[in-house]
Amino acid sequence: MLRRLLKGIHFPLVFSVLGLAAVGLLFIYSASFRDAGDYEAKQLFWIILGLVVLIGVPFIGYRSFLSISFLFYILTLILLVLVDFFGNRHLGAQRWLEFGPVAIQPSEFAKLGALLAVVNFLGSHHPWEGQTKTVSIAVLLLAIPFFLIVKQPDLGTALLFIPMSIVMLYLWGVRKRFLVGVFGALALAVPVTWGFLKGYQKKRLLVFLDPNLDPLGSGYTALQAKIAVGSGGLWGKGYLSGTQSQLHFVPEHHTDFIFCVIGEEWGFLGSLLVLCLYGFLFHSIFLIMQHTTDVKAKMLCGGVLALFAAHILINVGMTFGLMPIAGVPLPLVSYGGSSFLMNCMALGLVLSVYRERSIF
Amino acid sequence: MITRFSFFQWMVFGLLLVLGFGLFHTQVVRGHYYYELSLRNHIRLIPLEAPRGQVFDQKRRLLATNRPSYNVVAIPEDVTPEVYPRLSKLLQMSEKELRQRMSAGREYPFAPAMIKADVPQELAFKVEERRPELPGVSIRVDGIRHYPYGETASHVIGYIGAISRHEYDSLPRDRFGMNSTIGRAGIERVFDDVLRGWRGGEQIEVNARGELVKVLSNRKPEPGSDVTLTLDLEFQKRIMEMIKGLHASVAVLDLETEGLLALASAPAYDPNIFVSPSANEQRLALLKVQDSPLLDRSLHAAYPPGSVFKLVTALAGLETGKITPQTRFVCRGTFRLGPKAKVAHCWFAEGHGSINLYEALERSCNVYFFNVAKRLSPDDIARYAHELGLGEPLRLEIANLAPGFIPDSAWKKSRFKQPWYQGETMNMAIGQGYVQVTPFEILRLTSIIAKDGRIVVPHLVSQDPAIKVERSHVAIHEQNLNAIKRGMLQVVESDYGTGQLARVDFDKLAGKTGTAQAPPLKAHSWMTGFFPYKNPKLAFVVFVEHGGSGGITSARLVKQMLETWKDLNATAIA
Repeated sequence: MLRRLLKGIHFPLVFSVLGLAAVGLLFIYSASFRDAGDYEAKQLFWIILGLVVLIGVPFIGYRSFLSISFLFYILTLILLVLVDFFGNRHLGAQRWLEFGPVAIQPSEFAKLGALLAVVNFLGSHHPWEGQTKTVSIAVLLLAIPFFLIVKQPDLGTALLFIPMSIVMLYLWGVRKRFLVGVFGALALAVPVTWGFLKGYQKKRLLVFLDPNLDPLGSGYTALQAKIAVGSGGLWGKGYLSGTQSQLHFVPEHHTDFIFCVIGEEWGFLGSLLVLCLYGFLFHSIFLIMQHTTDVKAKMLCGGVLALFAAHILINVGMTFGLMPIAGVPLPLVSYGGSSFLMNCMALGLVLSVYRERSIF
Repeated sequence: MITRFSFFQWMVFGLLLVLGFGLFHTQVVRGHYYYELSLRNHIRLIPLEAPRGQVFDQKRRLLATNRPSYNVVAIPEDVTPEVYPRLSKLLQMSEKELRQRMSAGREYPFAPAMIKADVPQELAFKVEERRPELPGVSIRVDGIRHYPYGETASHVIGYIGAISRHEYDSLPRDRFGMNSTIGRAGIERVFDDVLRGWRGGEQIEVNARGELVKVLSNRKPEPGSDVTLTLDLEFQKRIMEMIKGLHASVAVLDLETEGLLALASAPAYDPNIFVSPSANEQRLALLKVQDSPLLDRSLHAAYPPGSVFKLVTALAGLETGKITPQTRFVCRGTFRLGPKAKVAHCWFAEGHGSINLYEALERSCNVYFFNVAKRLSPDDIARYAHELGLGEPLRLEIANLAPGFIPDSAWKKSRFKQPWYQGETMNMAIGQGYVQVTPFEILRLTSIIAKDGRIVVPHLVSQDPAIKVERSHVAIHEQNLNAIKRGMLQVVESDYGTGQLARVDFDKLAGKTGTAQAPPLKAHSWMTGFFPYKNPKLAFVVFVEHGGSGGITSARLVKQMLETWKDLNATAIA
């Protein structure tokens, strides 16, 4: 039974997931052991559940997921609209829906929903047929959840849609001029989006350009994050003995700023370890992509990869000032059930592509 | 050849490489610098609160402003143990209380905690002098809300209060800090977003003793915007003096600008006691007082309108064609619906004789309006009451809901499971029974009559663009409104008029008095009207709770109010 279950599983990928989850668990503990909340215990539960999803999804197969992708897409849109009405307010943003004891973050689900819907849609149309209509519909499919998330407002999550969309279109075989068109549309969308942004989000972006602008809000966080990561040096201050993160200089250090804790306590070597684990994960996904001939599968893997890469770029980039401060979790490492489950599901789909690979 | 796939691959690994280099630069190359900074965390963030916008009256006189206040603050991480006894003696606070203040929730580490707010200047100087022996403690000068005219316009301006923990969590940080205040009533509440500025801050580097080494960055707070009201402070003040000691309200509207010149309600309260932390007892006392000074009697309290409502009954009769201004009824002091019905009385027992509509309004004859009501259904009256804005939303900046109520047969059926009795229509016609209105609603009704049916939307804030109305006029014929206006003129100017005590010698006044029964106590006294009769400039309503006759108590106040208005405007011209 077990052998059947594990047959066709791409172990390097599972290994990197386990590695990242373990690092995450260690540092969620380090970041929060002084506070009440038992985050590490809760995360352990999510990890176990996530692994079940990771191994379970390949048995259903990505094709079944694609066939119900529009249903899933519509469902995530409904959740996004619901959050607008019933969501929990926190610091001026509405991102959470509460179902009894569980609070879910619909924007996490929306990412995967949009990914599946677009993959299924694009994959059913050959790139050599007229591209105008196909590309427009695909962009529309992506734009709806994008604006709903911008409205919450959760700019960080919304921005993640952009690289994901581009990569999917790119792998599908979109003509170069359309790609230019998409970039042009994005350039046009910037002023429109700017109008949608809340004052504090505008400031965050401006602070990114000039960190001295807002010492009170994100400029302060940006500097404190940099001090935390930078003070780790090469070797780090040692597990559980970071001073910056432990003293709450950096906010939300078990979720969005967990990389600060890693950087401070394990230093550059720890940071490198995390980056290498991600590199290994990406390498596995690339291998899986090479082994499939199904265009949908290729786009699916590419989209998942782009999503992960964008998360990492923003999350790690903001700790040393490459990126603006945004509420984006570090995939598989940050505390959070919605995020971990969605990531496992996404990677489960990738595993399923491997399981159903063409054998030459 | 580079395929799309390999290009993608290069991009992803390139990106990881960039992150790796960035981290190498921050952690290894610059690591030592950041390590130094982190040692005792040498960065302090001092929040700078934005001054709240001011509130002016129409002549730029200050109604709400900020005065400097001295606050004793401390950065608990920098405080040494021997500070506690010294500070406790200086501030006359127990050490326990001091420790509580120090450990109270703060926005971020090394943020200053508020130890004692708004201390006297001498004490502030004393603390400042002794700072060398009080490490971590400092004096911060902040703006604190101040209402220079106390209770004069308290119900309009409202007051502020400290934000709760829950509010703090749900509001944006660059506008609200943990010690921020927020508008709790009136203009302060509704225009909080306008009056509130953006917080600033100063990021400084300090040495091991907590002393400033250099300012790393600084963002000046942006002060909130000012709000200018349509109120005339001096006018409001004199009106408040007139109604001092009464339970009363006066509202005066400038019919040209549709801005309220005065909106007074007595008893009032001093909003300053909501600002100062030392006024806790006064605040509690305010809530316990029987006369509820916090209640704005012109906006939030509903009363039976009494004879003032006859304006509505008359218009309903005219508009439905049941009467004309010349229709005569005979008043013998009593009225019966049918042979077996209960006898209803006119307030004038001898009877008014045969009178037309003008005379009926002038003398406020109940029997005349009983006869009108006999020809009308309650729903007719209710329809015209709503048309004139009674029982409708207020749409004033500081209040939307009016507690006023206009009954109709459907309501009676659902509320009491009983049909509407004709006798109740009689009651309704003279503004008794279930009818409840707020003085402000009556003001709006009078304004509509004065402006020949133009829908008037009174407002309080002058820069506010006029509120869009769906239609400009009420669905009532102008000749009928004119008939009512003539009747209202006679109320004051005729020698039989119930409102003649309000007569002023400099121009013609039109009005309507009301004396609403409120057993077992004395009746409520009403008077509303507009001035001058030709090209009206003002509309007003005066209401005195249990003030007795409208023609006496309220009419006298109206006269006083108009003379004051003339006084103020004469000096303004001269």
